[in-house]
Amino acid sequence: MELYLPIAEISINPSIFLILGMSVGILSGMFGVGGGFLMTPLLVLLGIPPAVAVASEANHIVGSSLSGTIGHLKRKAVDIKLGNLLLIGGIIGSFVGIGIFNSLIKIGLVDLLITLTYFFFLTGVGSFMLYESLDSLGYLKKKKRKKTYHHSWIMGLPFRMRFKKSRLYISIIPPLLVGFVVGILASIMGVGGGFIMIPAMIYIIRMPTSVVIGTSLYQIIFVTAIVTLLHAFHNQTVDVVLALILLLGGAIGAQIGVKLSSKLEGPYLRVALGVLVLSVGIVMASDLLIRPEETITLMRGGGSQ
Amino acid sequence: MIKNYLKMFFIVLIVTAQAPLDLVIDTNERDIEIEPGISGTKIVLFGATPTGKRDIIIEVVGPPKNQTMQERKRYFGFWLGRGKSYYKNVPSYYNLLSSKPLEEITNQEGLNKLGLGIEHLPLGKADIKYSTIKQSEFDQRLRSEMFKNGQFFEKQGNIILRSGPGKVGLFKTEFSLPPNSLQGKYFVRYFLFQNGEAISYAESTIDLKQAGFARLIWLFANNFALLYGIIAIILSGLLGWVVSLIFSRYKLT
Repeated sequence: MELYLPIAEISINPSIFLILGMSVGILSGMFGVGGGFLMTPLLVLLGIPPAVAVASEANHIVGSSLSGTIGHLKRKAVDIKLGNLLLIGGIIGSFVGIGIFNSLIKIGLVDLLITLTYFFFLTGVGSFMLYESLDSLGYLKKKKRKKTYHHSWIMGLPFRMRFKKSRLYISIIPPLLVGFVVGILASIMGVGGGFIMIPAMIYIIRMPTSVVIGTSLYQIIFVTAIVTLLHAFHNQTVDVVLALILLLGGAIGAQIGVKLSSKLEGPYLRVALGVLVLSVGIVMASDLLIRPEETITLMRGGGSQ
Repeated sequence: MIKNYLKMFFIVLIVTAQAPLDLVIDTNERDIEIEPGISGTKIVLFGATPTGKRDIIIEVVGPPKNQTMQERKRYFGFWLGRGKSYYKNVPSYYNLLSSKPLEEITNQEGLNKLGLGIEHLPLGKADIKYSTIKQSEFDQRLRSEMFKNGQFFEKQGNIILRSGPGKVGLFKTEFSLPPNSLQGKYFVRYFLFQNGEAISYAESTIDLKQAGFARLIWLFANNFALLYGIIAIILSGLLGWVVSLIFSRYKLT
């Protein structure tokens, strides 16, 4: 069966996209990532123009993260108060990010920057998570583990607030700052930023892993809703048919993922996410490091002009 | 599910024996509406020409689109694309049909003058940024990538000539537009050659329009962008919510 996508202007086989949406949805519910960093390259690989892929992917994540958040809310695993702080920082950050993005377009460095940001963050975040989680599981025989030294300066910051769900009493500055930085990166890379947000919540803000996933998904709903609206308004690149097909699979996958996440323990969950992020980074690296067959290529979707 | 939309239109070349060679063409169908994406649209071209040693070349040129070629270079060990060549208005579809192999009809110079064939199709002046490569090299890669992607075609010897009544020869050929063809005007240009020289020319257009539900969504997204965005978010949220409701109702999680 074939289906025509009105905005992407190509015909597709919907069953492939249903399965794709479902697989990414499982990861989303399990790890609290939107899955944009996986889905966007895959959609481009399947022939969707990059601009449409990024915008429709944001639209898809609105629904799948909502589905995941509801699942986590039932388990009382969402810290809405802390999520709102991250969100405020994130919104300000994404506007700054769009500014940076536009000025880079002018000097012709935007594609270069996107590729490198993806590469460094995927491999960096992936290997760090893998190392840390294996370490805390005791697989790496290290003499003495450095004990969380930045707790001291984070503890010293003003404007402290109590976050019951996360069992934290910390300054509001770190969550705002984390949200802000992730917002900048997310808008440059065209993703929700979950895969950067999660490690930041665990290692910088020190939230318990059980609350991190639901809280991350909660704020992703709003970030991706704003991104969808901006793309729909400025570029007319949101393909609602594509988004809904992905979502039908994705929302079901997210529910399965939520169930799986409650069965896996924190460190094991982090090992799995670390491996996932790192492997996407390695696939990207191979593309960057191996000499391409043709050095002059046609950019899909017309390229950024 | 797969349907074939066979759309035919007629080109009649009325050429009287004594009168100077002049092509008069007509089409009985100028607008084609297709349900997009189901299968390619097959178009049949036929007409008449005086008999004799004459050859025909027909080119079909689709609506223009901007294209960008990228040059990847090694920076600090990474193969990154910074150099770009921006093209304005490259045909999104090109097809060349001829009654004989091109080299038997005319020479390279003749083809070049008329811009006939993938190799000679004019691409316009590209805007090259951050690259020292000449445009001709970018052009060549663009032509071969468009051919590889199934957007540029050449079907030499595809036009069938038959002798008709009196001194009239009939010709017939067909081609298909790929399922994902851009909507807009497709120019069909007819060139009549004799002894290597183009002696007559005619042109017609096909207007490709996409019909159906997909077209309505496209129009809505482009004319009511903000409302479309809001509806897209609501639909996505609603579907996500309904799925999670179903899951909790049947205690699947």
